Amino acid sequence: MGGAPRRKIGLTALLAAAALALGAQSGRAAGAPARGGTLVFARTGDILTLDPTQMTDNESIWTAENIYDTLYVASPDGKTLEPWLATGYTLSPDHLTWTFHLRKEVRFQNGRPMTSADVKFSIERVAAKASNPFAFINAAIASIDTPGPYTLVIRTKYPWAPLLADVALFANGVIPANYGGETEAQFFRHPIGTGPFMVKSWAKGSEVQLVANPYYWQKGKPYLAGVTFLSVPNDNTRRLQLQSGQVQVDEFPPFSMVSELNHMPGVRMTLFPSSRTDFLAFNEQHKPFADIHVRRAISYALNREAMVKAVLFGHGEPANAIISPALWGYDPNSPGIQYDLAKAKAELAQSSVPHGFSTTLIVGSGASTEALLGQIVQAELKPLGINVTLRQVDPNSEYTDIQNGKYDIAFNYDTTDIIDPDELISFSAMGGTTGQQTHALFTNYDNPEVDHWAEQAERTFDEARRHQLYDEVQVQVAKDAPLAFLYYSPFAYAYSRKVQGFDVYPTGNYHLEDVWLSH
Amino acid sequence: MMAIPFAGGAARRLHRRRPVPRNLLAGGLVLGTIVCMALAAPLITAYGPTTQDLNNILAGPSAAHWLGTDELGRDVWSRLVYGARTDLSVAFVAVLSPFVIGTLLGATAGYLGGLIDALIMRAADVVVAFPFYVLVILLVFLLGPGARSIYIAITVVSWVSYARIVRGGTLVARNQEYVLAARVAGFSGPRILLRHIVPNVVTQAIVFAMSDIVLDILAIVTLGYLGLGIQPPAPDWGEMMANGQQFLTSHWQLSTIPGIAVVITGLGLSLLGDGIAELLGTG
Amino acid sequence: MLLRYVVRRLVLMIPVAFGVTLLVFFSIHLVPGDPALSFLGDRATPAAVAALRHNWALDRPLPVQYWLFLSRLAHGNLGRSLFYQSSTMGLLSRHVVVTLLLLLYGAVGAVLFSIPLAALATIRPGGLADHAVRIIGMVGIGMPSFWVGIILIILFGLVVPVFPVAGYGDTWPAHLWALVLPGATIAVSIAPMLVRSLRASLIEALGSDFVAFARAKGVTPARVFVRYGLRNAAISAVNVLGVNIGFLVGGTVVIENVFALPGLGTLMVHSVLDRDFPVVQGITLVFAMLVVVVYLLTDIAHALLDPRVQLS
Repeated sequence: MGGAPRRKIGLTALLAAAALALGAQSGRAAGAPARGGTLVFARTGDILTLDPTQMTDNESIWTAENIYDTLYVASPDGKTLEPWLATGYTLSPDHLTWTFHLRKEVRFQNGRPMTSADVKFSIERVAAKASNPFAFINAAIASIDTPGPYTLVIRTKYPWAPLLADVALFANGVIPANYGGETEAQFFRHPIGTGPFMVKSWAKGSEVQLVANPYYWQKGKPYLAGVTFLSVPNDNTRRLQLQSGQVQVDEFPPFSMVSELNHMPGVRMTLFPSSRTDFLAFNEQHKPFADIHVRRAISYALNREAMVKAVLFGHGEPANAIISPALWGYDPNSPGIQYDLAKAKAELAQSSVPHGFSTTLIVGSGASTEALLGQIVQAELKPLGINVTLRQVDPNSEYTDIQNGKYDIAFNYDTTDIIDPDELISFSAMGGTTGQQTHALFTNYDNPEVDHWAEQAERTFDEARRHQLYDEVQVQVAKDAPLAFLYYSPFAYAYSRKVQGFDVYPTGNYHLEDVWLSH
Repeated sequence: MMAIPFAGGAARRLHRRRPVPRNLLAGGLVLGTIVCMALAAPLITAYGPTTQDLNNILAGPSAAHWLGTDELGRDVWSRLVYGARTDLSVAFVAVLSPFVIGTLLGATAGYLGGLIDALIMRAADVVVAFPFYVLVILLVFLLGPGARSIYIAITVVSWVSYARIVRGGTLVARNQEYVLAARVAGFSGPRILLRHIVPNVVTQAIVFAMSDIVLDILAIVTLGYLGLGIQPPAPDWGEMMANGQQFLTSHWQLSTIPGIAVVITGLGLSLLGDGIAELLGTG
Repeated sequence: MLLRYVVRRLVLMIPVAFGVTLLVFFSIHLVPGDPALSFLGDRATPAAVAALRHNWALDRPLPVQYWLFLSRLAHGNLGRSLFYQSSTMGLLSRHVVVTLLLLLYGAVGAVLFSIPLAALATIRPGGLADHAVRIIGMVGIGMPSFWVGIILIILFGLVVPVFPVAGYGDTWPAHLWALVLPGATIAVSIAPMLVRSLRASLIEALGSDFVAFARAKGVTPARVFVRYGLRNAAISAVNVLGVNIGFLVGGTVVIENVFALPGLGTLMVHSVLDRDFPVVQGITLVFAMLVVVVYLLTDIAHALLDPRVQLS
């Protein structure tokens, strides 16, 4: 229905993303890096664990990515993978055997050299227990062999294109084989990795202190002597800490503060493109959401620009696809439904409930944007004759209800931990018993064509073909509207102008070995 | 001033010639004004409390919006006035049942003594030993969010204070001459309790109730802050304060104005409470 | 005699604490919500959830789980936090200290504010000063504590940078310094309650017969105030603070949030929200014991201060 407007949205998003990424990198150009100093970060919460195979919260993950390394890492623009602990790999013609060549001068934070045995041990830990949160990411791996100290051979059960991206996941971060002779519990009290920083102390509930790794394999880095992560849940407090100089980085200031922070002397405010997409999810097992016209009608009735203005204060983009523009595989032409009240009424007229109906929207408490969004949705669906009752519950109950299919409509979102679309698509678009069995983000959407394309994309190694398959998935999902795509939002960071080289990747993490403090 | 015990003492005392305490007048005036405004809400506001105007968010005070608009473009003055309805009624109801239950249990415990007293007081100990917020959060989770759960949660926790106060008063009262006289006269236990003792000791409970309402309003505000209070989009001072937090440095009126409303309401209640205490002679 | 009283009260504490943990245990398990889901986040697959619930023994019948809790308790073990995956005891001990210190600062600050204010109010009950004090008190209770906290941070952490903006610090001197502003914020919200009861008991005490007698004998007003006024003040202060301890400990959650303090209020709210059962159990138990001890101390202090009171 008119390609031009939608292409514009996608292109704007891409251009914005590029501009922001460039803008962020310009910080690196400010003279030669100075050494020393401790970077103090104020973040919204504390870390929960230092074990890479057990972490699910962002704070733990983004901290761990500076302590442990993986074989490959995402590039700063989030579109490709770069060799890191590995220098390269070869793939067998049948696509089942990956042979990685490891970097030779890598040493752990206690000086011990890293070998393939350590990598094998670390990767095998990830799926060792069924209860491990990221066990699914290594599901395709059949076996790992170490024919030499710097050679690692991974054999997969079936041809698996996302393997390189999977191996780059933080959970596959390398620790010493057999915990370096300690027990697991002992090891994680003072864990070591090969990354630029090592753990000095962790005061639970308040702060984590890291110090520079003297044996770090990238010579000359890290520039900083240490990093301290403070847990400061209150938005106002983080801002005041930045203003007073108590901290140099403020993680996630609320979007309402962005323009103010832009004008604060000595402070730089950057919006980094993220992989986050927010949705309004429909439960197709509850009437009348199995009716595609109802879903499309509701989606047409949502004024995304107004939501971006009210919730993100303009710092975001209406979404047109299930994948964010910051990721490889994003289709700028994906026909995600945008605001059009006339079309909304037309769709509803064709549906099973042309005069409207009543429904309940669960919103999570605490996260005030959901309550806000919920009230906007409530007001915007009224003209269609759809009466929305808001039911506010605590986030845990909300999540449980969503997972157990006990909801009509609810807010949900997706991000990705790897730069391959596979993780996101397998959780959010694949239904039935395919994918991760999460029934397309718990909407109970199930389109066998979509499942088929997604599975094919997992097994195909031709990049162009994969891109084509993911395009088809996105177009179909946009048409079927199991989710109303709401908006893409960036990662907001405010930091002192003294902080140089700070860059946040679309997966949310940051490479602190590139950061230095100017005087 | 020593209270002269009569049967139906409180009612009798009101008939004596004594000037109405200034506190009572002032408190009554303040509270009365707030209640009237809440009741007359549709008459004194130009917009509904939930009418959004996404093109006019976070506006400052103006002729059209006396106190400006909030983050969804809703009129702050309307939300304040309608919020008074929500907060006052919840606080009032939330005080009423603990008051009634606590008074009855406390009087019974004090009068009968022995095993009943021990049981009631041990139950009180268990309730008190509960972390208040854990209890409230659990109850809100179990019963679902909203005003009803708040009533139940506050009732379960607050009856103890009333019970203690009334029990204390009953322990003193039951040895008074008028009670002994009534027993000699053959009145039954419950009758003595309800018609003679309770009216005498309830005044302290009433005074406490005034400050309890303030504490309840505060508890509702804190629950709103934790996201467990009154359901949106119903206006409520606690939720207004919590949502206004992120604008503390740019639009401070969003958080401050409901706070001032709480202060003024509290002032009125406190004056009223002291006034009642003075009037009934237990000041 | 005192010793026997104390021992008896402490012994009575056991069934109370037991009753509380039983109640909490069953209610938190009845509450909808699943810690495994919370832990696994948006990458929760049904297989992982089931496996995790099994690891955490959450698929066993409730009475069995309670039994496990009790038997661990008998060995002084409060279990492991599901989320932090470390000892609940360790987690609690650090957080309890922070909150207790905070409350101590708050109580001391409140008393320091309240006594002069109450004294001012009693000079002429019903007078201008009396009403002014009442209004100040209402502002203290009514204005939300996060508002007061942020104002204090702006004034004394930014404009006049005497105190750190937030955080707990990492050495003991830093801890004690960092607690001043949050302690002051708590003091501002407790003080009004104290002022009211101080004022009431001061008026009662200073109007009583033996004070009139002392004045007649020529004892100076100042001495009268100190000997009779302050002692009663101490009694009612102890009473008010002690009785409200339950409300206070949870109420610190807002202050802890604003000042980024790793306190018990925050742990309490988060563990319930996350359904971190071992931590909720641990906190409830510790809290119950804390409350009983505080009540005991309150009663003892009351008895020591007020010769009319006898410990029964």
